[in-house]
Amino acid sequence: MLMELPEVSYKKADFIETTSGNKVCRRSIMCGSQNIVLQGKTIVMADCIVRGDLAAVKIGKNCVIGEKCVIRPPFKKFAKGVAFFPMQIGDHVFIEDECVINAASIGSYVHVGKNSVIGRRCIIMDCSYILPNSVIPPETVIPSYTIYGGSPAAFVEDFPETAKELMIDVTQSFYQNFKPLQ
Amino acid sequence: MCPAINSSYQVTIAPGAYVCEERLQLVGEISIGSKTIIHPGVSIIAEAGPIFIGDGNLIEEQCVIANRFPPGVDKDQMNQVVMIIGNNNVFEVGSQCEALKVGDNNILECKAQVGRSVTLTSGCVIGAKCSLTTDEVLPENTVVFGSDHQRRTMPDRPAFQTHQLDFLARILPTSHYVLKHGTKSHTQPAT
Repeated sequence: MLMELPEVSYKKADFIETTSGNKVCRRSIMCGSQNIVLQGKTIVMADCIVRGDLAAVKIGKNCVIGEKCVIRPPFKKFAKGVAFFPMQIGDHVFIEDECVINAASIGSYVHVGKNSVIGRRCIIMDCSYILPNSVIPPETVIPSYTIYGGSPAAFVEDFPETAKELMIDVTQSFYQNFKPLQ
Repeated sequence: MCPAINSSYQVTIAPGAYVCEERLQLVGEISIGSKTIIHPGVSIIAEAGPIFIGDGNLIEEQCVIANRFPPGVDKDQMNQVVMIIGNNNVFEVGSQCEALKVGDNNILECKAQVGRSVTLTSGCVIGAKCSLTTDEVLPENTVVFGSDHQRRTMPDRPAFQTHQLDFLARILPTSHYVLKHGTKSHTQPAT
């Protein structure tokens, strides 16, 4: 991984900064924003779509959600109809650009690579890495400390035990380097 | 909250259809059948001719349904070609459909891409991130899946999404600006 993340500047007018340090781009679409919880110091980049109107979405602290991502609670079919289930994303999660996240829950310290599709009702456990351009089929459980990739996603290799410190480092330094243009 | 106003469009929406206005991009002549649900962030581009979307379709976010001219042709010389999408299709998040004829009950999974010369019959499933740009008519109940685009034939067509459509028809109007049924048109002001 990189030793030092580059500084990323943004126009101050483009982002809303909340009291708890969340930075949400104005161009993102937050449907049902009363159902969306960002725990703090989370960055949501441009053109993201978070569907809080379908079900509650809870995103942990120090997360980074890349551009054009779609975060959509999964639905489950019952005999009498469908229901959209609340979705939970842990702390220090780095979701790269253009991902489609339909997972039931994403643990903490997870890195989701660019352009991946996470199927319905998946469970991604802590400290895992999803390679870019992967497709995770519905209802998969991705174990901790693994790297999954491909379409359909398969186990690639183990993720080192330093994953937790790595993700904390990446997300915190991304947040610190995400500075408004003066 | 209105659709992109830098293009001219004319959209006819049947009663019972719900079209979310947010980030909606409409170009050209479009007709949307009843009970069709269109989520925010969709682009429907009827550049080379009108697009007729049938009943009961589910079009999710970031979808692009486009009737475009083939590249490299003289646009003034081309006639209008109609694009017809049947009933009960599902276009999942980020899918792109340029096929001129789409039948009923097809599913285009997340980020699937279907080119102009493909014809989807009924019950076809194009798997996530699969891209179909061949010149062919896909037989009924074909499934295309995986990074190497394997194909199989299902014994039965995919299930209807009526439950999800009903649920969305109830909750979408409460939390989104939704285009009402009727005809809505906007012409580009002459520059």
